[in-house]
Amino acid sequence: MSVNRRTFLKSSAIVGGAFGLGTFPSFAHASVAHLNADGVDERALVPQPSPQKKLSILILGGTGFIGPNQVRYAVDRGHDVTLFNRGKTNPGLFPKVKKLVGDRNLPDGHNVLKGKKYDVVIDNPTTLPQWVKGAGEALKGNAGHYIFVSTISVFSSYLSPLDENGPLHEPGGMDTPPDQARVGANYGRLKVRSEMEAKVQFGDNVTIVRPGLIVGPGDLTDRFSYWPIRIEKGGEIMAPGKPTDPTQYVDARDLSEFIVRLAETKTLGTFNATGPKSPTNMAEMLYGIKAVTTSDAHFTWVDADFLQSNQVREWSDMPVWVPPRGDNAFMLQMNVSKAVAAGLTYRPLAVTAKDTLEWYHTRPAEEQAKLAAGIAPYKEKTVLAAWNARKPAGGP
Amino acid sequence: MSQSSTHRFDPATVQPAQKKLKILVLGGTGFIGPHQVKYAVDRGHTVTLFNRGKTNADLFPKLEKVLGDRTLPTAYDSLTGRKWDIVIDNGAQVPSWVREAGAALRNSASKYVFVSTLSTYVNRRAIGIKEDGEQHKPAAPDATQQNAQYGPLKVRCEMEARAAWGDRALILRPGLIVGPGDLTDRFSYWPVRIERGGEVLSPGTPDDPVAFVDVRDLTEFSVRACENSLSGDYNCVGPKSTLTIAEMLYGIKAVTTSDARFTWVNADFIAEKRLRPYTDLPVWMPPRGDNAGWARMDCSKAINAGLTFRALADTARATLDYYHAQPPERQATLKAGLSPEKEVETLAAWHASGRA
Repeated sequence: MSVNRRTFLKSSAIVGGAFGLGTFPSFAHASVAHLNADGVDERALVPQPSPQKKLSILILGGTGFIGPNQVRYAVDRGHDVTLFNRGKTNPGLFPKVKKLVGDRNLPDGHNVLKGKKYDVVIDNPTTLPQWVKGAGEALKGNAGHYIFVSTISVFSSYLSPLDENGPLHEPGGMDTPPDQARVGANYGRLKVRSEMEAKVQFGDNVTIVRPGLIVGPGDLTDRFSYWPIRIEKGGEIMAPGKPTDPTQYVDARDLSEFIVRLAETKTLGTFNATGPKSPTNMAEMLYGIKAVTTSDAHFTWVDADFLQSNQVREWSDMPVWVPPRGDNAFMLQMNVSKAVAAGLTYRPLAVTAKDTLEWYHTRPAEEQAKLAAGIAPYKEKTVLAAWNARKPAGGP
Repeated sequence: MSQSSTHRFDPATVQPAQKKLKILVLGGTGFIGPHQVKYAVDRGHTVTLFNRGKTNADLFPKLEKVLGDRTLPTAYDSLTGRKWDIVIDNGAQVPSWVREAGAALRNSASKYVFVSTLSTYVNRRAIGIKEDGEQHKPAAPDATQQNAQYGPLKVRCEMEARAAWGDRALILRPGLIVGPGDLTDRFSYWPVRIERGGEVLSPGTPDDPVAFVDVRDLTEFSVRACENSLSGDYNCVGPKSTLTIAEMLYGIKAVTTSDARFTWVNADFIAEKRLRPYTDLPVWMPPRGDNAGWARMDCSKAINAGLTFRALADTARATLDYYHAQPPERQATLKAGLSPEKEVETLAAWHASGRA
């Protein structure tokens, strides 16, 4: 479940090392002035002035996948950050940041927060509405702004490009036990209930951010990472569905930075937070990833029905993809214009892909050998062989 | 000179060469020359530049520069009595230049590198043309750009190089050379156009193959080829394995945050509209007829001899960085590709044609 500290620090150092920007010889007159430390072309981003007011920010969680990105960004922008968690995941992270310890599954798990006052509370890890309730009761009157990280899984179906008012699941039960949190549709339902509970506890001062698939360095689910890793390996790659099938994802850093800026501007309301800004598709994603490698990858597009009949699962075996039909027709075509207008910006895909690969190569060999998502190599080969055998010679 | 890369997609850190060479570069201040000189210096070689002193004269202030005008009979007088390990001739298109350089320098250096072109082949009908592919009939020994075509001129130049240097001649035949510093915009059009966003007219079918070589890959190979004493002929274009035009365009999009979307317009329609492949629609050549193998030359000889290829993201990012560093008037006038008006007009006609 967790990245160990050594791995994390190592990966941080490597990403940091890639920041070594310099100057090109004078003949080319190339400028890097518009590239920021992440190699992001800042001209493409909405200008982000330094915050005028320094905030006290309590981050619930903060040591998993998206949390560390928030912490780094918030600290860099001068905010006073406190972490609250069990102290079990990556406890060595951020030695200079204040830490409070508590277990949110316990009845008095939030007690350490009582009497403390924060401008903003960012709640990252919550899957149970009881956690929101616990935090709300402990912080009653002492939190100026509560930002809840929800999910686009709150929607019950995706029959059009949904904005924030799309149809939601029936809310899950307030007292669902922790071991049931991710069973069946519980995840989406409990997030719906948690969103409701956020408003019960924190009134109007609530922001709900609903990310789609969160990707990039640090992701232990490998759901996006599968593709850069597979493409880098090269050869014939099974690509799912049609090249024009839509896809969406959001770099954990873009999401985290957006959340911190929402705190700075105290922007309230609900936001779909996936990307990129404009529609993209599977071919653009896969070919874009190929562009950061020197791989000889070539792509064979295998249709959705064939994949299904060969027990190749969308999303898990073929990550970042669901066939655009039925209830999921527009699952990867969420309307994100509200978040974009509120300041969500996007790194180029090439940056996400490159950083994901660099991070992957810093992971322990046994983790590199066993990805948590994506079809197994032998299965890919078998299904490709079957697909190629059924096509007429010289066919598309 | 700085060793650092311009952006995170360029991983290049240059290692010193084992054996240091004395290299005389004829030209050296155009498109490929500066990249080559920089790499040679970074590898620890001693480089002398020989040119008229007119193009980018302030480049490489620390290097020895010898002035000479290759159009004059006295061109090489200033080099008399000097010795080099290698002479690299980047820009010669006129057979007499190669012949006269050979006469003047063949006893002053042990090797001559001539940068030729894939345009020396009479056609690219076959897939996988190797270095022994049929070449154009050579231009006359005294031909010039005024009275002969580029390909035949370069064939004659190659012959002059072999006549003067024998098996001490190394002949590199690059395809489309792209990247930072390119003044022709034949690749640059695409990153610039895609970065601008909106509906992008994309030529042919997404699976049409493309081929090009980053100027840095080509020049670095040329220097390493000197170090390794290569001789003979080498096709030099990339990438190593097939790249489709969709992979190229979508790969370029990946280094931007553009909202570009791609409309594929087929080759017949493009021909009907009298749009020129390669010029109006850069890099792309419809893979049929005499050009069926255009983008599928066999470069395995060069690859086996050490030609390597950067990631496309590196080439695209560096090209955009270079472009944005140019003066506004230069940025406003691309030398290849469709004008915005022509693109809009053609896309509208395509959508109206019912063939989309």
